[in-house]
Amino acid sequence: MTGAAGGASAVALPRILGPIRPRARWTEAKLLALAGFALLVGSISLSLGVNGVFAPYEPQGLGIYLGALALAHVAQVLAGRRSDQVLLPVTGLLGGISLLLMQRLPQNLVTLDVGDTTLGLGEVQLMWLVLAIAVATTLGVVVRSDAWLRRYKYTWAAAGIALLLLTFVFGADVAGQRLTLRLGPVGGQPSELLKVILVVFLAGYLSENRPLLIEQDTRLGPLRLPPLPYLAPMVAMWAIALGIVVIQRDLGAALLFFGVFLALTYAATGRLSLVLIGLGLFLAGSALMANLFEHVGDRVDIWLDPFADPLGSGYQIVQALHAFARGGLLGTGLGEGLPLVGGRPPIPEVHTDFPLAALGEELGLVGVIAILGLFFVVIQRGLRIGASAADDFRAILATGLALVIGVQAFIIAAGNLKVLPLTGVTLPFISYGGSSLLANAVVVGLLLALSDRGVEPPPPPEVATGWRGRLRGRRTG
Amino acid sequence: MDGFLLVIWVVRLLFLALLYLFLARVVQSLLRDLRAAGREPGASLGRLIVVESPAGEPEAGRSFDLDAITTLGRDVNNAIVIDDPFASSDHAVLTYRGRSWYVEDLGSTNGTFLNGRPVAAVSPLGFGDEVSIGQVRLRLERARTS
Repeated sequence: MTGAAGGASAVALPRILGPIRPRARWTEAKLLALAGFALLVGSISLSLGVNGVFAPYEPQGLGIYLGALALAHVAQVLAGRRSDQVLLPVTGLLGGISLLLMQRLPQNLVTLDVGDTTLGLGEVQLMWLVLAIAVATTLGVVVRSDAWLRRYKYTWAAAGIALLLLTFVFGADVAGQRLTLRLGPVGGQPSELLKVILVVFLAGYLSENRPLLIEQDTRLGPLRLPPLPYLAPMVAMWAIALGIVVIQRDLGAALLFFGVFLALTYAATGRLSLVLIGLGLFLAGSALMANLFEHVGDRVDIWLDPFADPLGSGYQIVQALHAFARGGLLGTGLGEGLPLVGGRPPIPEVHTDFPLAALGEELGLVGVIAILGLFFVVIQRGLRIGASAADDFRAILATGLALVIGVQAFIIAAGNLKVLPLTGVTLPFISYGGSSLLANAVVVGLLLALSDRGVEPPPPPEVATGWRGRLRGRRTG
Repeated sequence: MDGFLLVIWVVRLLFLALLYLFLARVVQSLLRDLRAAGREPGASLGRLIVVESPAGEPEAGRSFDLDAITTLGRDVNNAIVIDDPFASSDHAVLTYRGRSWYVEDLGSTNGTFLNGRPVAAVSPLGFGDEVSIGQVRLRLERARTS
């Protein structure tokens, strides 16, 4: 008995350091081929709509993008890891749809001068997409241990708060929101990276304190609460979210962070009372904000009745609703949506805030549902990776990464459709923007790495770890 | 001109159809994955991995699927027999209650340790935590589902 059972599991350890053997990924290859073909057809449809020519629209750009996806696939095959085979094709298809959309929108929305040539919206987005694929693949292939995330969670939290403070102080104000941080020539929106850091910290915190949070110790009226000190992070999170709203005027990030925090706390502890308290805090905070701060109150008023001022404050959302309406069931076809109004696209900021409305116009309800379906698949993969993870940290981390994508997609999709007040977050994988694409690439890369159970890293801690025990151990010894 | 319009419509609908074909294929593969996970025998509540065992019984690297009540100790009647000179015959018990695992010391001579701290009362145990009995260290992990 000992020989067979021991032998089978004993080889599990040396295999970690063993030679790397290529491993075919047929599911991924087939799905990628199908996604590539769909994008090619989409590109032809776009070309027919714009020029009336039966050929791919800007074939070079599409070629580079599909080539990058193929390279990512080859790299994963060569690395021989048993990571998830669905994530790359699904996010790849979303990115490809984004490329088609950005190629179709007026190219002068975003320009970037490189030497003598000027890159337009489509080309800049292509550059970010290729970079994002590179980041996701590198993380998926290289990351074999999560110790660097697990061990330094407070360092990560400190880095996140530092990033937030830097943005508070040095951030540039763009359209009344202080979101962009510039360091020399490199600019970016830290809140996109912050959401990943937040999930890493929460995964560390919740996995360490999960047993305590589940124990029911304190009673407060009808609610049964965990020990009160463990509610501190929730209050801190709430304060940070409110701070983001007040100082950064970034409602979207605040909603995203708090939403992910609540959902993840529920996923980790299964306690409805925590969620109820969180929701209560959130509603109280929102009501307070809406009354105290004009920019928050305005958003709510616009949301309740955009047609009160259709040419002024409600213009953006009214145009988006019209776009959805024009799209109807099957859409106008790629490239055949409403042409420019006064030299600009009808919906202001369509490439960052309203890509879903543009897609709704050109692909119709049918297309939008397909795109939402793709997001559901990404979320399902993340939750599945979490459910099959070996320990709490990885389970919560994977769940949180999936939730970040899901909650963000929900917030902006709901904002576009006037289900929620509009808040300026990006639609993951589709909106224009380097910060957004790269941050979501980090999410996909980490999910790929976490999904691999074939090469599990060695047992995590040599020293005793766990709540309190760690601190006490250090002090005495 | 009519032919051209027809081509536009065919290509447009083909694109939408391909999006759904892609989704269908993805869902197919997800279902396959879920069915495979469902077929896996012995979906248990968790498993214990032997991290370190100087005496060699149980062997380091071995994995035990856990029942809702799993006893550990030197006595052969325990669910997991720990043949270590520092282990008592009925040393500790792991129980699964509600949503979480708990560890309890059964009055052993040398004590049970959770992440290096002695277990005084019934203590909740998270996946990834380590239990030490004598010189044997065991880690609780989620059951394999894929």
